[in-house]
Amino acid sequence: MSRRRELIRYLGARMALVPLMLWLIASLVFLLLRVAPGDPIDALLGPRAPEAARIALRHQLGLDRPLINQYGSFLGDLVQGNLGISQHSQEPVRAIIGASLPASVELGMVALLLAAVLGLAVGLSGIARPEGRLDLAGRLFGISTYALPPFWAAMVVQLVFAVGLGWLPVGGRFPPTLLEPQGSGFFLFDSLRAGNWAQLQGTLRHLVLPASTLALLLSGIFTNALRLNLRRALDSDYVEAARSRGLSERRVVLRHALPNALLPVLTITGITVASLIGGALLIEVTYSWPGIAARLQEAIAQRDYPLVQGIVVVVAALVVLVTVAVDLLVALLDPRIRF
Amino acid sequence: MALSPLTPLTLPLARLPRLRSRLVGLATLRRWAAAMALMALPALLAGCQPARPSGLLIIASSSRIDSLDPTQASRSGIMQTLSALGDPLYVIAADGTITPRLATALPQLSADGLRARIPLRQGVSFHDGTRFDAAAMAFSLQRFMAIGTLSYQLTDRVRAVRVSGPYAIELELLRPFSPLPRLLSSIFLTPVSPRAYRNHARSPLNDRFVGTGPYQLSFFSRQQQRLTPYPHYWGAKPANSGLALVSLSNSTALYGALRSGEVDVLLSGNLEIDHQQALHREAEAGRLRETVGPALEISLLSLLTDQPPLQNPSLRRAVALSLDRATISQRVSLGLRPPLQELVPPSLPGSDPKAWPAYNPTEARRLFRQAGYCQGRRLELPVTFRSDVPTDRLFALTWQSQVRRDLAPCLALAVSGMESTTAYSQLDKGSLTMLLYDWAGDYPDAENFLTPLLGCSASRGQRCLKGNSVASGSFWSEPGLEAQLQDSSIQTGPAREALLRTIQRRAAAATPYIPLWLTRPVAWSRRQVSPIRFDGSGRVVFGELHLEGQP
Repeated sequence: MSRRRELIRYLGARMALVPLMLWLIASLVFLLLRVAPGDPIDALLGPRAPEAARIALRHQLGLDRPLINQYGSFLGDLVQGNLGISQHSQEPVRAIIGASLPASVELGMVALLLAAVLGLAVGLSGIARPEGRLDLAGRLFGISTYALPPFWAAMVVQLVFAVGLGWLPVGGRFPPTLLEPQGSGFFLFDSLRAGNWAQLQGTLRHLVLPASTLALLLSGIFTNALRLNLRRALDSDYVEAARSRGLSERRVVLRHALPNALLPVLTITGITVASLIGGALLIEVTYSWPGIAARLQEAIAQRDYPLVQGIVVVVAALVVLVTVAVDLLVALLDPRIRF
Repeated sequence: MALSPLTPLTLPLARLPRLRSRLVGLATLRRWAAAMALMALPALLAGCQPARPSGLLIIASSSRIDSLDPTQASRSGIMQTLSALGDPLYVIAADGTITPRLATALPQLSADGLRARIPLRQGVSFHDGTRFDAAAMAFSLQRFMAIGTLSYQLTDRVRAVRVSGPYAIELELLRPFSPLPRLLSSIFLTPVSPRAYRNHARSPLNDRFVGTGPYQLSFFSRQQQRLTPYPHYWGAKPANSGLALVSLSNSTALYGALRSGEVDVLLSGNLEIDHQQALHREAEAGRLRETVGPALEISLLSLLTDQPPLQNPSLRRAVALSLDRATISQRVSLGLRPPLQELVPPSLPGSDPKAWPAYNPTEARRLFRQAGYCQGRRLELPVTFRSDVPTDRLFALTWQSQVRRDLAPCLALAVSGMESTTAYSQLDKGSLTMLLYDWAGDYPDAENFLTPLLGCSASRGQRCLKGNSVASGSFWSEPGLEAQLQDSSIQTGPAREALLRTIQRRAAAATPYIPLWLTRPVAWSRRQVSPIRFDGSGRVVFGELHLEGQP
């Protein structure tokens, strides 16, 4: 079978599993929410609202229907792409996700870019002299940033650069003195498209601390992955062969070892992207970033069943799609991979 | 060797001997460039701060606002914002007096007390330019009764709302209700423009608000709202050129935003005690302003009275006597939460500040001994706190230690945490022996504190079978108590206040609850901001705020 056919067959099999996975995830989150203690009516009305008001609201929200009927309606709506209405705000769940997801994706992408640059730079730094000072410093950097508790790191960065030095905003996504860019929800893109320099500046200022903190925390993954794979590549036979042909060390590293060492890093990047789609909860909470993770946390606290279900299903779908896309990309780049 | 950001890239190349000498010079140059860039960064970042429009005030709180529709209002954050965008029928001043706002006089009651006629102000317009009149007020109240989250506050008391003239409405009451003006001071009953809401008569309109208040909404998102003065406002014009309301999700961010001058005013919300204390010290040192509003939120312990061991009233009283509120308040809240010995906030008519007994370990020990404890037998009492409220945990642990110190042979507290929504759902199931929680009435009146805790629609002896007392986790009632509660909604003046005090004393004697402390709204502001004033409903009067030197 040709490689292209193999690839198409693999892609078909992966995509065929997507609906099954989403059904499993949706069913699981539906059941877990109902099993978990707590009542959406309490979250909405407080514990001491009159019984009549509680019954009326329960009926209005359809929570008095048998569980199997609620489940049937949920799945039926989901198949039609209808994620329901938030019990808390009475807004369509799709609109709420549409407003929160771009914030998380924007933060995640900028952080990932910074993390990749920083992590790969540190990972490369020790290559010249294994076990030298730079190599040890790179290892220490990789381990310590990976091990940093995100909440603590975010708080320290916030206290130093926002509260102490006052260089950057403490939190939020945009300055309150300006009007938010309108459009896709990706403020960097929207302000650039509108050519509004003040909006772009405001967006960047608010992005610096959360993105840098997240990047710092993620960069260790890249550092360690690149360091290990590059070291392995440099010890391999084809690199020795390249050296013996008299190629310069620079050419050996950049043209022969690095591309092979970057393939596993690409897979790790894919997994990191997938995890960032769901948002970086602790970063979002610390920096008051109005992303999907913070929204999910609020929805769980409010027992807003449709919103929790909607966010989990959408994030799961995106994670599955990103994972498949990364697998395909790796397969396309690495001819050794068989399916 | 000092590292520049470019060093990692240059080092592998440095292995090449021929380039080495060139690279040394290049690396030095790059290090200098990096150092210069790093030094310039702070100035660059500081210089990038967007210019603030003159007279605009930035106000931060922890409240995220999902909806600006008054029918969806149930939290203090949205109430505060609505109070700037809308007008209620009546307002309560800090001294407790009620004055008409959109009404022109207090409700005129029929002889049987079942019909209330409310004359309305003329010359008022909505933000969309339409006229405010009786039809608009009736539309808004009927809409609230149909879809309001707190609709029961009205539907439990009002049968129908009618237009009785171009500028007068009539409320048909289910029974006489003396705190009606206080109920009608609720900002969630603020009128909205029938024209703007015609497609939302039975559904909420979340991201817009078209009311009659001093400000109109010019931008809305969950995290930020921009308010600009309404030029055709009928009353006193705002003293500022607009407000930017921002939500920050954690205490450190809120504290830091005020400290760094990023915001002008900070409303306390969920600020941690340490941060409140730090701001308090700043205010004492004259670097900030601090204003405390009327306390309208109480914290209390509910006691499960229909099951052992707390079905014994003497034991409940002994537990109440074992609570050293003053010490615990000092330790947990650094004295910022005043101890409370009643269920009604002291600022409200009907308050009885000493209804519950004060800390008295001697008397507590006597009562425990009388119940068969202390002589080699110790009462093990489970206390549940809300694990998502840091102060609750501190309270539980401090009380546990205090009891261990003062009453070790008689009483031991077993403390455990439970997430608040879960705890609330367990209250009416009778599974929590003691739970600490807060209560803030939806409008400032004693009835709104006593009925939700003591009301009972079906009882047997001292056991409540159905009603608010069950929902509040005490399951306690007494013959005649419900009648007194109902009567307190009919009586007026000193007779009503006396009755409210009687009800409190009855509750105190049976101890189904133990009041703990008061939570007061606090606002901090930069020195450049004019002094802050709270109204009698515990909300900051935004319209009076301005940057001093900018009239």
